[in-house]
Amino acid sequence: MNLLELRGVRKSIGQEEILKGIDLLVKRGEFVAVVGASGSGKSSMLYIMGLLDKPTYGEVFFEGDRVDFSKEKKLSELRNRRIGFVFQFHYLLPEFTLLENVMLPAVKLGVRREQAKERAYELLKSLGLAGKEHRRIYQISGGEMQRVAIARALINNPSLLLADEPTGNLDSRNTYVVMEIFKEINRGGTTILMVTHEPHLALQAHRVVEVRDGLILSDHPTQRA
Amino acid sequence: MRHVLFVAFRMLLHRKRQTLVSILGVSMGVSAFVVMSSLMLGFQNYFIQQVIDLEPHIRIKPRTENAESSPYVLLLGEKMEEKDRILGWQEVIESLEAHPEVLGVAPRLVSKGILKYGVRDKPVTLLGIDPQREPKASIVEKFLKNRNLQRLETNRTGVILGVLVAKSLGIEQTGKKLLLVAPNGQTLLVTVEDFFDSGITNLDDSRVYLNIKTLQSLLEKQGEVNEIIVKIRDVNRAERLSRLFQEGIAYEVESWQKAYKNFLSIFKIQNTITYMIVFAILTVSAFGIFNIIMMTVLEKKKDIAILMAMGFTRNDVLLVFMTEGLVVGTLGAVLGSVVGFGLQEYLESIKLDVEGLIRTQGFVLDRDTLLYVYAFFFSLFFSLLASLYPSYRASRLNPVDIFRSQ
Ligand SMILES: Nc1ncnc2c1ncn2[C@@H]1O[C@H](COP(=O)(O)OP(=O)(O)OP(=O)(O)O)[C@@H](O)[C@H]1O
Ligand SMILES: [Mg+2]
Repeated sequence: MNLLELRGVRKSIGQEEILKGIDLLVKRGEFVAVVGASGSGKSSMLYIMGLLDKPTYGEVFFEGDRVDFSKEKKLSELRNRRIGFVFQFHYLLPEFTLLENVMLPAVKLGVRREQAKERAYELLKSLGLAGKEHRRIYQISGGEMQRVAIARALINNPSLLLADEPTGNLDSRNTYVVMEIFKEINRGGTTILMVTHEPHLALQAHRVVEVRDGLILSDHPTQRA
Repeated sequence: MRHVLFVAFRMLLHRKRQTLVSILGVSMGVSAFVVMSSLMLGFQNYFIQQVIDLEPHIRIKPRTENAESSPYVLLLGEKMEEKDRILGWQEVIESLEAHPEVLGVAPRLVSKGILKYGVRDKPVTLLGIDPQREPKASIVEKFLKNRNLQRLETNRTGVILGVLVAKSLGIEQTGKKLLLVAPNGQTLLVTVEDFFDSGITNLDDSRVYLNIKTLQSLLEKQGEVNEIIVKIRDVNRAERLSRLFQEGIAYEVESWQKAYKNFLSIFKIQNTITYMIVFAILTVSAFGIFNIIMMTVLEKKKDIAILMAMGFTRNDVLLVFMTEGLVVGTLGAVLGSVVGFGLQEYLESIKLDVEGLIRTQGFVLDRDTLLYVYAFFFSLFFSLLASLYPSYRASRLNPVDIFRSQ
């Protein structure tokens, strides 16, 4: 079953065409790695898949429906319920505790506060952050921040987790932890699309898509597939 | 909405100091508005109330200014005297009394004069009144120390002195005898029967009441009247009624608004200046709000981007920052009202002798609760206005641009 499909997606910024016709199909439950040189268009592609940016040409299908990029409210709702984001930078809000940061998407969704809290506790615990729920971001390490960001991305049980170089700022130990978490989440049924520069991380996915100059150069399953 | 409030309050609490400063800014504007308005309106309303009580609502008098400039006056020199009296005043009074909106009419003879007491003398305005009719058309008795106008009827040489007239002559008690000198050189020994204390400085410092008959014979103007005063039901209709009466009367008909035109226009200027000051304070506090929200928006682009990525709509983001402005505005209004109320209490409690246009034992305040309602309305309006632009800017941020720029 298809979760996400890009059909002939092009993206121009000003005169420059960053994506030059991307066709990509992501099935439910897949773990896709996107690789490519810096500036090849990986992030641009991810923003479109995350419904944060709209293609100049082409179509996007999400969970079988064609996405209408003019419906801002609907896009927000899909992002809130169905998509989780993890970036290289954690983007945690300094005003909130770790627990509250994790709760935010659930609060937006309208989940009862107690229920959101419970789920956030659970997630933080499963990511090895038990006992640190009430800390602020300046009271934890970079690896921990990234795990909080992952918990936040997961709180509404999204069907798709988009990660743009999630380990870019982490040492090998924390990179390992994050990759294990991703594999675990993926085993739980969440589809993951991860942009990475590191071949050995890409090989841990089911499939590696290589982007060059705004086009898909290659698309191969790995041995884990 | 819960998610909007959650984020808005946290952001405000996170920058306690700036939030507090903005709230203080708004509260200053609000308290300044409340206190300045209540002082100003209090004074003005007091003044106007005294004027309405003391002065004829409508006054009919000879056209003196015309008399001086008219060529006929030059030609018919001797007849000039006719220009400063009202002929057929009985008929005028009768016709006015017939009008349903008129409560009372009274004749007066007004003249200049000088009072001598010992070595002191004092130029005054002599008001010759009919003690029977006068109370129907003015409430002069309310301002008399002993509240007895009829003493002028029983004692034909009795006078009532304005308190400041008495003060400058050195008279403190009734029963004192003093010399009244009329413009024609005639003199009369009069007795002080009462004192007149209105609180309006220039009236208390010039008025002397006496029986109209006494003044008529002193001036050798038997039966003459040079002013008719009219009291009406609704003081606000004085101007309109005076124009109506004017059509049937050859003499000048003047409403209290017209007589006090200068004061009323000074009040208007005064109000304008006060509201400009308050407006300036509110504008400054609005800039405070603008500043804090704009700063938050610029500093928090990353946070706004991630909020949008996790599903906050542009509208949600707009509301987050508008809420911040609204909260600052509301808290500022509450604090400002409390401070304003405190200041009003304080100003009302202090006793001091104010002597200017009016004399009182302290500040006269208008404690209208409507002022607080206005203040609330203004501060909310200003804070919403101030937060509108930065909030809009925040809601138009493009999360992709922000993620890219990291
Ligand atoms: N605002 C912009 N205006 C013009 N060109 C842009 C803009 N933003 C990005 N680009 C260009 O788009 C191309 C694709 O950028 P993108 O961020 O998608 O690359 P990437 O593959 O994610 O690179 P990296 O590995 O460095 O993150 C780049 O060549 C970049 O220069
Ligand atoms: Mg990138």
